[in-house]
Amino acid sequence: MKFSYSWLTEHLKTNAHFEEIEKKLTSIGLEVEDIQDTGKAYKDFIVGQVLEEKKHPNADKLKLCKVDIGKEKVDVVCGAPNVEKGMKVVYAPVGSTIPVNQMKIKAAKIRGVESYGMMCSEYELGISNEHDGIIRLEEKETIGTSFSEIYGLNDIVIEIGITPNRQDCLGVKGIARDLASAGMGELLERKISREKGSFKSPIKIEIQDNTICSAFAGRYFRNVKNTESPEWLKNKLKSIGLRPISALVDITNFVMYDENRPLHVYDADKIDGKIIVRKANDGESFLALDDKDYHLKNGMCVIADEKKVLGLGGIMGGESTGCSTETKNVLLESALFDEINTAKTGRNLSILSDARYRFERGIDPNSTLKGIDLATQLILEICGGECSEVELAGNIKENKNEVSTSSSYISRRLGFEVSDKELISILSSLGIETSQTGDVIKCSIPSWRQDIHGEADISEEVIRIKGYENIPTSNIRLKSKINKNILNYAQKKLMKARHFIASIEYDELVTFSFTDSKNCEVFGDINKLKIVNPISEELDILRPNLLPNLLQAIKKNKKRNFDSFSIFEIGSQYRSTSPEDQLNVACGIKSGIKTEKSWKNMQTEFDIYDVKQDLTSLIDYLMPGNKKISVSNDCPSWYHPGRSGSIKINNSVIAGYFGELHPRVANQFKIKNKTNIFELYLDELPNIEKKTTNKPVLNLSDFQIVTRDFAFVIDKKVKSEEVVTSAFKVDKELIRNVEIFDLFEDDSLGKDKKSIAIKVTLQSNEKTLADNDISEISSKLIESVKKSTSGTVRS
Amino acid sequence: MKDFRELETEIKKASDKFTNIESINEFRIKFLGKKGIISLEMKELASLSGDERKQHAEKLNKIKDSVLEIIASKTEELNSEELEKKLNSETLDITLSTSKSYGTIHPISQVIEEVITIFGDLDFFVAEGPEVETDYNNFTALNTSEHHPARQMHDTFYVETETDGMPNVLRTHTSPVQIRSMLKQKPPIRLIAPGKTFRCDNDQTHSPMFHQVEGLVIDQESNMSHLKGCLEIFLKTFFETDKLNMRFRPSHFPFTEPSAEVDIGYTKKGNQLIIGEGEDWLEILGCGMVHPNVLENVNINANEYQGYAFGMGIERLAMLKYGISDLRTFFDSDLRWNKHYGFSPLNIPSIIGDLS
Repeated sequence: MKFSYSWLTEHLKTNAHFEEIEKKLTSIGLEVEDIQDTGKAYKDFIVGQVLEEKKHPNADKLKLCKVDIGKEKVDVVCGAPNVEKGMKVVYAPVGSTIPVNQMKIKAAKIRGVESYGMMCSEYELGISNEHDGIIRLEEKETIGTSFSEIYGLNDIVIEIGITPNRQDCLGVKGIARDLASAGMGELLERKISREKGSFKSPIKIEIQDNTICSAFAGRYFRNVKNTESPEWLKNKLKSIGLRPISALVDITNFVMYDENRPLHVYDADKIDGKIIVRKANDGESFLALDDKDYHLKNGMCVIADEKKVLGLGGIMGGESTGCSTETKNVLLESALFDEINTAKTGRNLSILSDARYRFERGIDPNSTLKGIDLATQLILEICGGECSEVELAGNIKENKNEVSTSSSYISRRLGFEVSDKELISILSSLGIETSQTGDVIKCSIPSWRQDIHGEADISEEVIRIKGYENIPTSNIRLKSKINKNILNYAQKKLMKARHFIASIEYDELVTFSFTDSKNCEVFGDINKLKIVNPISEELDILRPNLLPNLLQAIKKNKKRNFDSFSIFEIGSQYRSTSPEDQLNVACGIKSGIKTEKSWKNMQTEFDIYDVKQDLTSLIDYLMPGNKKISVSNDCPSWYHPGRSGSIKINNSVIAGYFGELHPRVANQFKIKNKTNIFELYLDELPNIEKKTTNKPVLNLSDFQIVTRDFAFVIDKKVKSEEVVTSAFKVDKELIRNVEIFDLFEDDSLGKDKKSIAIKVTLQSNEKTLADNDISEISSKLIESVKKSTSGTVRS
Repeated sequence: MKDFRELETEIKKASDKFTNIESINEFRIKFLGKKGIISLEMKELASLSGDERKQHAEKLNKIKDSVLEIIASKTEELNSEELEKKLNSETLDITLSTSKSYGTIHPISQVIEEVITIFGDLDFFVAEGPEVETDYNNFTALNTSEHHPARQMHDTFYVETETDGMPNVLRTHTSPVQIRSMLKQKPPIRLIAPGKTFRCDNDQTHSPMFHQVEGLVIDQESNMSHLKGCLEIFLKTFFETDKLNMRFRPSHFPFTEPSAEVDIGYTKKGNQLIIGEGEDWLEILGCGMVHPNVLENVNINANEYQGYAFGMGIERLAMLKYGISDLRTFFDSDLRWNKHYGFSPLNIPSIIGDLS
């Protein structure tokens, strides 16, 4: 909401400095967003008169002028085609700044001739787009006077943000009223004469449905002249950025910004029969004042006559009854439209208008007739003519809210003592009448405050006027704890996973929860993930998986010359767009160069064993203690079928996957390097409740440790893990460790055969193992491995 | 009586010729070996008798000890000479280096963890809710009816699923977590809810996805002064400053009454933003006393219980604290940015360690 300081002071008698008012506005909730001191910007520009005008000796299009600026006569080189002897102009002296381009005027030689200052166009002064010539002021203007006074620009324009509850401040008067309540002065009542009207309006008004419009006041004017508005009115509207149109339209705009009272004027000669306020029917349409055709839906509030729709009630008038310079007879409307219906209609048709903005926030019912009176006075004054009596359809219900409260309630909510006396005094400054019975204070809310419904609202009014800076500061630490844990197990798991993964060289990314459906068919059912109003076509679904956005990130960073990627994200992916159909997933990618070629190392690339190790050590970190992790080949379709594995914990749920990205998916994302990925479904990791803080008992043996190596030849398709597990199970007590230390494939072993060599560590808790103990366990081990792998001992 | 002067002279002479470990060994064999001079003399003692044997034995043992000492000291001497030589030849170029790097934690995660640490110390727990929400939880239960003008200020993303006949939404703020939590838990309640939020807005200063943290305190006494106290501790701790100019000013949120916006003071030194001091104000968060209608919507008696709520943008906190100038870079996945603004994974914010 924009208004000028001079406009404000028409409603507010104040001794306060402007700076005080500026501060107070923000402190009562009318946040000052911008201030433009136009007086300051134009302070250097004055009226001058061209005394002489002749051709520039060196340039055809330039003229040499002598300009009288009061205290002296100066030479100015001018390029405007309309400059002529005797003309009154706006003169910008040396040292002034041209508003439109912030250019500072200097004394300069133009094509060899000295020029002091400049004569300005409206465009250069930033007041219009007129730049065909310099401004021609009226003859009567006095040389040397300030230009801003003539144009009514000697003012400060204030822009404030109005929160949706403060409908009362959508007019300058409301702002003045709130400032007066906050001690910034006295509210002035505008003197408005009440015309009775000399005849009955020939246009009758019928409200067919009072749920959409409770009251409609109309007044007929005959023989008006819809001229250009007088300067004071035009300047007022211009000062707040509105374009003057014609007197009738300007008057309605003025009343709306002054009194927060939207009005409308119809060309009465274009109305067929009576005015009917009714609900629209499906299929009706009309051409609005913004030159657009709107197709109406059942239930929207329309103003119609007996033949056609004239306008959308509380939103926008129609072209068919719009006023022009030829308009002679008009109907003035001041009505009360339903807030919700107005909001719905406006949203449905996407019409933003000042009237809609006000009606959907609630209009003071008492402004209905006041608005008519103020507009009548201005129309008769500016446009002449005669007015009818006011024709009122429906009822103007005041709907005065009553709220009961007490100083103890207010004090308890605000955190400091407010006495009955102080409470009553603040309320009365806001125009809230009170009556006290015992502790209870009954408040009668004025009609302009549509936002005060309960005690809590009263508490806000009190602190708003008293000042938020007067709220004390209290300690919030408690004597005893109310929450056992800050984070629950699942939340800790996420945080631990994040730090662990970053500690093994991955960079954490945070990407959008949306992604491009075109890349996602392989990852999930994209039809279940659609966003109705996506921000762009490339972000049209909720992501079914973290990978698509991470793969995009790799593609982007390749262009930035990165050739080694270790990136991860922890976040949600979605199974559908139902609430809670989201999963917490940690997804990591290692791709490209693992170790750079250096004086020490050969260049190596990441492979699936890197991500397998990262994934299993992550699981180990998140789930310390005994568990069985098994690996199998069943991976989702975005993995390379021969180079990927799923990880099962304790033979129950699949907790994650690792492997190489399927070449087809890699191709889709235009990634050429092998891309190794892991995914951990964090919600699937069983929660371990810590039963005791004690660690398990530690049993140490001091008997000698023996190691023995074995090599087996087995089929290539047999998993090496089989060798390890079948060796282990021979004697769980004595066999402490089994490790593969060599893997060898060669045709000499036989077709489709491989050799696996293991190192077995043996130790007893009771004795030093003797040779025969060792050979006994060795032969058992060989038998066990041979049996489960169908292999042979390599000789 | 035999004197061993000759033997002693011979030992002295031989011991001057040591050049390496082998010569020491020869020396040992010559005098102490099975057939060594001293060993043979020792054998001969048996043929002597009485006092003479005793005197000879004493002398011989002395000589033997001196030989052992010579061997030990000369061995030590030679060993250290040898080590010295070896050390002189064993040099590596220490200017060559290898690198071991850590990954990085994203600033969003860092700031969320800092916020949790500060509020955890004030006895808040971390609550959560889903990112796809019902219209009821996101708006209606928060005292924002279907046609409330405040709804239009949220550019809401809609999805195709519905709950109770209303399309579900991507939550426009973290406030619906208040509703879910209050339905689950009776007062006293102290919680924060950090998480992702979404609005259909994309320009220089808006991102369609961003992060917020919500705070909620409900009990029998918490009031505006507690809210002020709470935010003051938080902001001072978060910005790691003892001086903090803080300004509350009236605002409007449908789910709080009174509502306030909070500004903090700042000054600019060159390109640096100094938070806390100064006459210029930066808007940092919105807050207020929970509206009685909200409490009633979750079956909490508004005559008995009251409390406050607040919400702030994680990106904004991160930008101000760490001097990140562009909101959109958070989600741009430019690894140069991540490596520059990211945090060490070992730097977990804590009460005993540093926050950042």
